[in-house]
Amino acid sequence: MGPSSSSADLSAEMEVDAFRRLFPLQFYERHLLESIRPDGRTHQQARDTTLALGAVASADGSALAKIGCTTMLAAIKMEVMTPTTDLPDEGNLTIEFHMPPICSPIVRPGKPADIAAVISKELSDTILSSGMINLKELSLVSGKTAWMAYLDIYCLDADGALFDAALLSAVAAFSHLQIPVVSVNDEGKVFIVSEEDKAGKPGNEPVNIDKRKLVLSNIPYSLTCLLHKNYILADPTAEEESIMETSLTVVLNSSRQLVSLYKPGGPVLAYTSALQDCVAMTMQRVKELQKILNEAISDMEVV
Amino acid sequence: MATKASASPSTYSPSTRRRKQERPNIKDPDWVRSDGRGFHQCRPAFLRTGAVNAAAGSAYAEFGNTKVIVSVFGPRESKKAMMYSDIGRLNCNISYTTFATSIRGQGSDHKEYSSMLHKALEGAIILESFPKTTVDVFALVLESGGSDLPVVISCASLALADAGIMMYDLVAAVSVSCLGTNLIIDPVLEEESYQDGSLMITFMPSRNEVTQMTITGEWSTQKIHEAMELCLDACSKLRTIMSSCLKEAAFASNE
Repeated sequence: MGPSSSSADLSAEMEVDAFRRLFPLQFYERHLLESIRPDGRTHQQARDTTLALGAVASADGSALAKIGCTTMLAAIKMEVMTPTTDLPDEGNLTIEFHMPPICSPIVRPGKPADIAAVISKELSDTILSSGMINLKELSLVSGKTAWMAYLDIYCLDADGALFDAALLSAVAAFSHLQIPVVSVNDEGKVFIVSEEDKAGKPGNEPVNIDKRKLVLSNIPYSLTCLLHKNYILADPTAEEESIMETSLTVVLNSSRQLVSLYKPGGPVLAYTSALQDCVAMTMQRVKELQKILNEAISDMEVV
Repeated sequence: MATKASASPSTYSPSTRRRKQERPNIKDPDWVRSDGRGFHQCRPAFLRTGAVNAAAGSAYAEFGNTKVIVSVFGPRESKKAMMYSDIGRLNCNISYTTFATSIRGQGSDHKEYSSMLHKALEGAIILESFPKTTVDVFALVLESGGSDLPVVISCASLALADAGIMMYDLVAAVSVSCLGTNLIIDPVLEEESYQDGSLMITFMPSRNEVTQMTITGEWSTQKIHEAMELCLDACSKLRTIMSSCLKEAAFASNE
């Protein structure tokens, strides 16, 4: 029934689960030959993706993204900083990706996973270079005060394609972000203007009443694919990532321009045609993700 | 006002202009709790098992604004440096997200919680059932809304049950704050900030055994008795919610 390999004869006598554990590669290859994956997806199919905005009440903007079992919680907290003298009209953005020990058996307390630092850097590079956020919008008083947006992304459940889920949750958190209304006193200190204060005590004029939402342009979306022999598998699970090691992540923006492309080594060298296929698959995925994001935003507005 | 725990000390989170909220006059007979609850009324509890797929067992708990996830891994190989042990080991860790508290990064102040979680669960787990190996219990506080530790402990015992770790009974935990002459159960963050004293009990209701009890602050013997009664009663009620959550999960997986 299957291809001839050393394990083929064994497979007839063995339970499926045992075969999957002992010969994971053969198990997968046999599925791939039939153009299907063990979880029932086709090669190019991504897992079900959901987004919920406003999951964290203590943050200024937040989102929970799920791709299959991979779960990411992103939240933004706005703090005040003094802009640098070089860029007096710009705020700043700090992006951190965390993998707490709850998310995966490979992470232990006190020992951050190596992959977390890699994803943190990739996310930071992608978001800052995509031009999604105009840092000038984060300015409050030129040269005096500006916003520092702290974006923290927590992986709650790690089941592959971590970068994709993290980027999606980050983008969604920014689209949910509501900047607090603040006033600046004579010493340059920033205060939150509460509802009662708005009733008109003098000296409390809010400085940013019309700048509570950021304009997001060129939103980046990503898709991670695994390369194995001639197969390309979209949106891999953790099991697939552990068996087939070459991954390729394409980030495109909403105008279908290439933002980043990561291929961190791996035993498979990608042909240009494979690259083009990955980009084409990402184009499709961008459409899906745009729809999911827009639905999440409109759900939020209804509530 | 600069937050010292923050990654970059040159930023601060803006506050409202008004002074910090004063302790309300609790002697006032009209005083009500900020969320409108009765003094002896707990927050509604939402519990779910199976929150994290990558773990052997997990649970999510939401009590008002307090939201936590606990994952259980193992029983798995103990660390190499560990001595041989006839009975299993329990390893606990609690961490906070940076956005759990109103000021970023303040949640890491609770270093003692991990060992308190360990002590609260240790007595409930049948450690003899997994010799030589370790069970890891990791908790992440997503949002801190008061009574964090009791919520984590209850959630952790649910996660252990979800992982199929043998226990004598589920551990339910509840805390009570003493405010003047009043006792308020399951305090929120704001109430904890102006309490005179606090009492927490972690309890195995069906065996009628207490695994941990902590008392801090100013208490009279009379009040301690009263608070213990309150806690034990609330723990028993919480346990029924916890076991019905487990039953639901078992029922759903059978279908």
